[in-house]
Amino acid sequence: MGALKSVFRLLGAPFRLINSVMGRFLNTPFRQATAVFLFACGLIEVGIPFIPPLFGMPSAPVPNTVVLEYLVIALVGILLWVSDNEERWSEFKQPIHDVLVRPDRRIARGALFVIVPALVAAQTYFSAQPDISAPPSFRAIHPAPPSAITFQGEQMVLDGLENPLRSTGLLEEHYEEGKRVYYQNCLACHGDGLQGRGHYAQIFNPQPINFQDVGTIAMLTESFVFWRIAKGGPGLPNEGTPWNSAMPAWEDFLTADEIWSVIIFLYEQTGHDPRTWEVEGEEH
Amino acid sequence: MPVLQNVSPNGLSKKLRSSPQCVVLVALLLGVSLLAVPGDVIAQVDGQVVYNQWCAGCHGEDGAGAGPAANTMLPRPRDFTLALYQVRTTSSGELPTDADMLKVINEGMPGTAMPGWEGVLTEAERLALVDYLKTFSRFFQGDPPTPLDFGRATSGGADAIARGEEVYQMVECWRCHGEQGRGDGESAPTLNDDTGFPIFAADLTENWRFNGGGEVGEIYRVLRTGLDGTPMPTFSDIVDAGVITDEDLWSLAHYVRSLSPEDEPEVREVVTAKLLTDTPLPQTVADVVWEGTERFYVPLSGQIVVQPRWFNPRVDAVWVQAVHDGRELALLVSWGDPSESPDTLWTDFGGQVVTTMGSEDEGAATGSGTADQLVVQFPQELYEGQERPYFLQGDTRRPAYTWTWQSDIAGAFESIARGMGTAARQPDSEQHVRATAQHADGEWKVLFVRPLDTEGAEDLALTAGQAVPMAFQAWDGDNGESGSQGAVSTWYFLVLGQPTPVAVYVAPPVALALTLLFGLLVVRQAQMGSGMWREPDAAARAKRAAKRRQLAGMAVGVIWLGMAFGSYQNSRAGWEAGYADLGFWWAIIGGLLAIAGLGALIGTWIHTRTSK
Amino acid sequence: MIEKCGELRNTALLLGVFVIAGCGGGDGGGDAAGAADAAPAESPVDAATAGNVAGMVTFSGTAPMMAEINMGSEATCAAKHSTTPTEEGFVGGENGGLANVFVYVKEGLESLSFPTPTSAVVLNQDGCTYRPHVLGAQVGQDITLRNSDGLLHNINASPTENRGFNVSQPVNMDTNRSFPVAEVMVPVRCDVHGWMNSYIGVVDHPYFAVSSPDGSVSLDGLPPGDYVIEAWHEQLGTMTSNVTVTTGGTTEISFEFTEAMAGSPVPMGEPIDLLHPDGHQAVDH
Repeated sequence: MGALKSVFRLLGAPFRLINSVMGRFLNTPFRQATAVFLFACGLIEVGIPFIPPLFGMPSAPVPNTVVLEYLVIALVGILLWVSDNEERWSEFKQPIHDVLVRPDRRIARGALFVIVPALVAAQTYFSAQPDISAPPSFRAIHPAPPSAITFQGEQMVLDGLENPLRSTGLLEEHYEEGKRVYYQNCLACHGDGLQGRGHYAQIFNPQPINFQDVGTIAMLTESFVFWRIAKGGPGLPNEGTPWNSAMPAWEDFLTADEIWSVIIFLYEQTGHDPRTWEVEGEEH
Repeated sequence: MPVLQNVSPNGLSKKLRSSPQCVVLVALLLGVSLLAVPGDVIAQVDGQVVYNQWCAGCHGEDGAGAGPAANTMLPRPRDFTLALYQVRTTSSGELPTDADMLKVINEGMPGTAMPGWEGVLTEAERLALVDYLKTFSRFFQGDPPTPLDFGRATSGGADAIARGEEVYQMVECWRCHGEQGRGDGESAPTLNDDTGFPIFAADLTENWRFNGGGEVGEIYRVLRTGLDGTPMPTFSDIVDAGVITDEDLWSLAHYVRSLSPEDEPEVREVVTAKLLTDTPLPQTVADVVWEGTERFYVPLSGQIVVQPRWFNPRVDAVWVQAVHDGRELALLVSWGDPSESPDTLWTDFGGQVVTTMGSEDEGAATGSGTADQLVVQFPQELYEGQERPYFLQGDTRRPAYTWTWQSDIAGAFESIARGMGTAARQPDSEQHVRATAQHADGEWKVLFVRPLDTEGAEDLALTAGQAVPMAFQAWDGDNGESGSQGAVSTWYFLVLGQPTPVAVYVAPPVALALTLLFGLLVVRQAQMGSGMWREPDAAARAKRAAKRRQLAGMAVGVIWLGMAFGSYQNSRAGWEAGYADLGFWWAIIGGLLAIAGLGALIGTWIHTRTSK
Repeated sequence: MIEKCGELRNTALLLGVFVIAGCGGGDGGGDAAGAADAAPAESPVDAATAGNVAGMVTFSGTAPMMAEINMGSEATCAAKHSTTPTEEGFVGGENGGLANVFVYVKEGLESLSFPTPTSAVVLNQDGCTYRPHVLGAQVGQDITLRNSDGLLHNINASPTENRGFNVSQPVNMDTNRSFPVAEVMVPVRCDVHGWMNSYIGVVDHPYFAVSSPDGSVSLDGLPPGDYVIEAWHEQLGTMTSNVTVTTGGTTEISFEFTEAMAGSPVPMGEPIDLLHPDGHQAVDH
């Protein structure tokens, strides 16, 4: 029993420390509010990037707007808490009031009079500088496909079109042929990992599509993919910024069968399934 | 419904790669996963299956480095049957250790087509690959190799770099790498790898493209081990023979490292042209103005979009500097190119490159030895919105306006192009751009000067403060490049600096004064005990508090719900745009906001109801 | 060079000494028999019963023209040559003799094992050329790579049976390397000077030689028996000859390379074999 007690005592040590710190330093609502706010800042800046990996996602630095939004939420929450109770509200105001009023806080008051306007002036100075950033650019990622295209001079209806290779020959052979086509033509941009990270990928803007991502070929029909490969960047509508896309119009390089086989390769290699027309129909 | 996405190149995906937190995390997770995967599980992964699925496309199923993609690559994919590995910690000619092989699989070979596989294959798969690669050569059946002892790195600094430069001269690195390290040494045009393909001497000013890694320790390792299969020899023997000391070799590594920028250059979308107010516009490439002018890095890739394609560009990037004086723009473009094409010393090399890269594309080059060329490209006119010409020299509807410089013609000329290779030179009366060029130590510097407004109907007028799309294309004739077979960039922006607006000088003092005034008011109020500082009586206080609470609660709830909806919109846009991270963050924010908003509303309702 | 030759001369038998223009003296494969002699106590061959093989390597037809080497960029090296140096892929001599042919016992010595010579053979880089152009060494024997030019050379050996090496020598210096496995031939090149190349024949016995400019070649001190002798030339390929060696006798041998053989395959070590210990085949669909 004694051992258990000492274990409990040991476990309690950090809490006692916190308690004593709280008692000594965090004994007014103002200080508590400040401490909570600073803690929130630290948590948001440092802690949040560790959350996505818990869900199996890559971590990333938190965008500034997100940090700002979180901080506003934290601030509003803190203010709600201190103003909820009238007594606490007065207590909270007390130190502020003291700085503003009490003669012995003259130095602090003077310092605030210098620092706050200086910060505001600096902020104004930087925001008044001429803006030399690039104009915003927007593009449609999955523009609506046409219902029919002209492929190498022949009309081809895309609506309801299935990959013809899936009903002829051996899938394995189509995969091998698709692999050859992919490695000879697509690799430099879309990469061996099919993640859009080929050795030329970084030069291009927009960056090559990541086929592994569930947001790309996994949510498209094979006929849509065929259209995108056959017509490439130049075949995009204006909202797709065709002038920027480095995707070639592959109808100039490949036969229809080669394109269909490379489509099979994309789905087989990534393990994704193409969206089928039935599902598409239900959703419309 | 089309989804809109901001496509700034400095977007999240870029941050993602360079995030130090990310690296630490991945390292941690890897460490954990290593501990968690027992040996027998690793053994169950079939290296051959992994190899055939992910590696054979380049390296071939027989491991001989001749997969379907091999013809589009120089250097060629590794031939595993020779068991020649460049990145090793072992002596020249020895086999790599397992750790050496894993390092290359994990991190790839910068500057080549070999990517890192860390994010694609599991640890077990990558380890299985190491074992499978070793089955391609019987050399691996012997005893495992012993890594060299690399001793301790010296500290570097100016002295080490100076000593390193002496060593560079003494051990004659310049014979291949050139005096300034740009791969333009006298032996560079004759280099072949062990399989007989032409090979470049590395440009030592681009350490992010060193295939064994670009930091001091990695450079030192290459000096000690050599790069087997290439002309790069080991320098261990001259240390053993006492010709130089080990410290000298470290100094050499420090010196080589110092030839490259401290950090890998960042790609920025906007090239700014500084406004010169009291210095004249530079008229030569050597003008002192350029030393103080910011350099912008523009990476290029092979033109692989229209026929005939080019998979082996020599120019991997250009550096751009720009200034203007309100009347004329001066644009300095610099890039590494070992020769002043056409140079007969390089004729054989270029011929070999063309043979090696043998393209089946229509109109592909059959020989080398044309001039070097640089094209700066603008839209012929600025369109409403974001519309621009096609990035490869325009299209029929939106022509591009180009400046072309060639090493065999003095100056430069302006053209209008409606697609790659369709550039039509403007009449002489419409020629306004001047150019001067200099080739020294493996680098071209070309200076373009043009009036901001030429008053020509077909020329783009440049206005200060306006973002003008700009793109670059470069050809190395001695590398067999000409026509559409060269290096290209996508669109960037050129922004001409403008005189500092008056607001910059006026706004801050005004803001300062206003803030001060506001502060004084607050203090005065507090000292007089009025406003929020007044102490009301108890009843009024309670009533006011209740009212305030109710209002605040409702308002906060509504605002938060509104923000939650906004977040949801952002999140959906993020997911659909393929930026999973954006989608994720906004989903979290939206969720929290929705909970908070509902909580505030319900809480307020309960609170005010019970207090009645 | 003179000193080096002297050093080699103190070995018992010298197969061929010839003068190379501008070099002031050089050696063909004079080290071969010397190597056998270096450790007589351990040799499994009884000298009293041994016999010799001697003969000529000749070439008939029009000799190919060798391109001139432009050493303009290397004044130091150019100064060491009294006439414009040419490439050495084909060096013919008087009376149809063919130089730089590596002649060795290919079969017939399998049952014997020979000690590794303690003396080294030298591959000298002098005047931006390899001296000798074709060199023989025994398995495990030190090969001294010597820089006599005082400027950067790299010695890049790319064998297939052995592991290669690529060593830099920016100053006058010696570096030793050896090959643990027999291999005919190991190509050697200098990447700094694209024209510099050489071949090293590595065999596991001391019976090899390189033909001198007059085409003469001899293998001495062979135990009596039947042998297959092979002659290897870097442009003309290989020829073999069956000989019988008798005690105290000298068996005549001759290899006649012809113009028609130009362009025939030149073996460089054994082809790479693909071994997959786990039973996989290299190509398996």
